[in-house]
Amino acid sequence: MVTIDALRQMGADVDDGLARCMNMESFYLDLVNMALKDPGFEKLSDAVKAGDNKAAFEAAHGLKGIVANLSITPLSNEISEMTELLRKDQEADYQGYVDRILDMRNKLSAL
Amino acid sequence: MTAHTRGVFRPSAEVRRILIIEDEPINQMILARYLEGNYSVLLASTGGEAMEIIHKEQDTISLILLDLNLPDIHGLDILSRLNADPRYARLPVIVVTADIKAEVDCLTQGAIDFIPKPYPPREIVLARILRIIELSEDRDVLRWTERDQLTGLYNKDFFYHHAVMLDDHHKTLLTDAIVLDINHFHTINDRFGRAYGDKVLQRIAEKALDLVSVSGGIVCRSEADTFYMYCPHQQDYGDILEKMSVDMDDEDEGAGSENRIRLRMGVYSSVDKSLDIERRFDRAKRAADTVKDSITQAIGIYDDAMYEREILADRLIEDFPAALREKQFQVYFQPKFNITADKPALCSAEALARWNHPGMGMVSPAVFIPLFEKNGMIQALDYYIWTESARQVRNWKDTLGVSLPVSVNVSRIDFLDPALVGKLKGIVEEYGLDYKDLILEITESAYIEEAGQIIETIEQLSALGFCIEMDDFGTGYSSLNTLASLPIDVLKLDMELIRSAFLDPKAKRLLEAIIKLAESIEIPCIAEGVETAGQTADLKEMGCDIIQGYYFSRPLPAADFMQFVREEEKQEV
Repeated sequence: MVTIDALRQMGADVDDGLARCMNMESFYLDLVNMALKDPGFEKLSDAVKAGDNKAAFEAAHGLKGIVANLSITPLSNEISEMTELLRKDQEADYQGYVDRILDMRNKLSAL
Repeated sequence: MTAHTRGVFRPSAEVRRILIIEDEPINQMILARYLEGNYSVLLASTGGEAMEIIHKEQDTISLILLDLNLPDIHGLDILSRLNADPRYARLPVIVVTADIKAEVDCLTQGAIDFIPKPYPPREIVLARILRIIELSEDRDVLRWTERDQLTGLYNKDFFYHHAVMLDDHHKTLLTDAIVLDINHFHTINDRFGRAYGDKVLQRIAEKALDLVSVSGGIVCRSEADTFYMYCPHQQDYGDILEKMSVDMDDEDEGAGSENRIRLRMGVYSSVDKSLDIERRFDRAKRAADTVKDSITQAIGIYDDAMYEREILADRLIEDFPAALREKQFQVYFQPKFNITADKPALCSAEALARWNHPGMGMVSPAVFIPLFEKNGMIQALDYYIWTESARQVRNWKDTLGVSLPVSVNVSRIDFLDPALVGKLKGIVEEYGLDYKDLILEITESAYIEEAGQIIETIEQLSALGFCIEMDDFGTGYSSLNTLASLPIDVLKLDMELIRSAFLDPKAKRLLEAIIKLAESIEIPCIAEGVETAGQTADLKEMGCDIIQGYYFSRPLPAADFMQFVREEEKQEV
């Protein structure tokens, strides 16, 4: 189960995220756990594997809003960068982004 | 009412409903928490679901928070659907997005504000939502107050406001002010019921909107059954009237088939934009009034003659105070002769107002009396005439040793003055006259309109000793049976009644019957407008007691009248 400390350690702006949840820790952590299980991660990974940038953009855009609202900053930064590249349909190492994103998500989920 | 209920029973204290359209549950939950305690929340995860909720709950939703990336319908599509449907167009939408670049598109499609992702602190979001809801509610109130609820057309105030705005943007465009009235609308309501009457008004409103959608311009329902239209100058007003006329058919409950609603129309064409907008429509209204009750004509056009009359009326009203002050009004006296004896005898006179205008010469009382009766100025003029007349009666007594009563007009408007009895009494006392020296002429129609108050006042005047003369008898209702019960000393027959009696035998018999009837209840009759010896003889034969008219003398200025009295006195001797 992810904790406030673990989130702080990985660089999340916990205070900012908590503020959005009226400083209710349990509500915040529930939402973080929900976010980590969001099917958008798998959709993003599948779309990148399939080379479907449009589907990848939609998945990334959805995830971006969620993790940004929870202020899981490192995850949010990676997803934001990826979303903007996908929006412009630019050539990029999208698989590298997916790997880093899933790695962070998995580490937090493993707690 | 207790403080508690007073606090609750206000729209702002109701829990407003906000629809969150957001497919991500986490974002939904955060927003829902933000709103908790302040608003009631409806949730939709897809565009389809959202449209369903909006359709069902449109009247109770205060605001929509809209995410753009939805699984089925894009947020921009939802915005344009809402914007295009008049049922939903009032709903304020705040777009919640991380995509700043979408802002222009959203605003174009009708979004009213944005909330970024990640969400700003709760207080900021709540403040922004509250501001938008209040603005939107104000806009709704405004919409209701600017519209006539029955027809959805503008009300008159907003119509005028918009007309002025149109002028600002189209300064050189020739424009027409058009007034449309339904002929005998009250009878439509009476015959077929109010609901039917309302339907008629709604149909006409629809036609008017169709018309201005083609011709340009705006339209409003001014009052009950009157519509105003302000549009670019038109060539064919008959065509407009035709397009506006409504045929109510069998489907319309209450009325039979082929029930055509007839309108009359007043046009002030190519308006003078330097005039107040109200004045422009006054002109169109007056033009419409010229065809009221006309069978052959349905369109009245404001023209030069109407303009001239209006200018004249304005000038006379403007000049009236100075005219009174400077004694431009002159009192003329027309003698009345008692013809009951062998030789006619001067018995009294009628005071008549003449206006010797410094710029216009003698102005006919037919022009200024109706005008002053309409705006109430007649009260001041009447008071002036009464005083001048009393002064003359006093003068004749002192100079000639003659007591000759003078009849003065008391307008219907004078009876609205609670001090009327006191004023007349004051004049009599000031000049040391008897009440019998002033005869009060009260027009027949005054007895009918607002009869209660007027009759009470007349009774007071009669009790004081004033002689009461019912003027213009035969023009109005001529209710003979009321004569006996009203405080009337003399009946003055209308000039037209006398004139027609000498042209038409039937009218003559009618006149004879009226004189006989008055005689039977011991009320003497005066005939005015008598011009010949033959007429005088005939009237005498019919039993008429007193004659006034050119046969004896035209109305004379005070000095000439005095001379006239002198000569009459000499002849007597």
